[in-house]
Amino acid sequence: MIFREVEDRDLIAKARRGEVEAYNLLVSRWEKRLFNYLLRLVSNREDAFDLCQDTFLKAYQNLPKLDDPARFSGWLFRIAHNEAFSLLRKRKPEVELAAEPRAPGSADRLLPIELSLAVESALKRLSEDQREAVLLKVYQGFKFEEMAEILECPVSTVKSRLYTALDLLKTALAPAAMARGES
Amino acid sequence: MNCSLLEAKPDWKAYALGELDAGARREAESHATTCAACCDELAAMRLTLDAMSTLRDEEIPRRIAFVSDKVFEPKWWRTLLNPTFAAACVVAAAILVHAFVARPSGEALQQAQIDAAVSKAVAAAEARQSAEMLAAYEMYDKQFKRMYISSNGIVRQ
Repeated sequence: MIFREVEDRDLIAKARRGEVEAYNLLVSRWEKRLFNYLLRLVSNREDAFDLCQDTFLKAYQNLPKLDDPARFSGWLFRIAHNEAFSLLRKRKPEVELAAEPRAPGSADRLLPIELSLAVESALKRLSEDQREAVLLKVYQGFKFEEMAEILECPVSTVKSRLYTALDLLKTALAPAAMARGES
Repeated sequence: MNCSLLEAKPDWKAYALGELDAGARREAESHATTCAACCDELAAMRLTLDAMSTLRDEEIPRRIAFVSDKVFEPKWWRTLLNPTFAAACVVAAAILVHAFVARPSGEALQQAQIDAAVSKAVAAAEARQSAEMLAAYEMYDKQFKRMYISSNGIVRQ
């Protein structure tokens, strides 16, 4: 991660000097992580791809405004967060997915793919704020302080959203997770 | 079953997510060895995170367009509006004007050479005339003085 930051900094410096290829390399490095974050957040592949594309373009246009190149990842995810929530606000309120409680016995001998689907379903049942907190922490590995910068809110709010989400996920996934543990 | 530390019990979510510093981690681990409730809470948290780790990243459906791709090249008229490009065009135009308009043509160059030769010849003739006039004036002046002396009988002492 440290090497990656050092190399990112070098690429950012080159991109700022007008070396477009350096920026293209940055895109190649971050596109998969960013796409998956957006995909889990907006739950639509095409939207996630378009948002990903827009995020990289906006980041390129605003690269001179990036104060600290060492914080490129957080800065990039903040742009992505703003783009995603701009889209989510435009969308018509979706019908809440009905909770699909599993009967305790139905989770016996779950395959990894089934557990993965259960996780995906449980994530979709979280609120957007809660889901984003989980995505940034569990799947992207950001620290609380970095998340607070990305989401532009206090660390206490970040923790509150994340902890509530984890409690909900624990309840939703317990049967499936335990069934997997036993199998 | 509840933890005896109540509000002061370790933050097991932060622990499982790697947010505790080394000291707090050691304290939490030490407490867990004696507290069944905390042990259960940590186990449940780990089970949840393990389940969540089964969700794999998806491949991006197609390549993100690079900023150097043709699709992002500015339109030709936008290029003209670019201040740097416009300034370069003005400088280039000025150089061209200087090279093809201000530069003397063959005829003009020949005329300039003739004019210069004529000016030089005129100047030489004027100088020669001036010298001749000066010499004539001096000669007449000398003759006049001689005539004046001889007619008045004045002898220079």
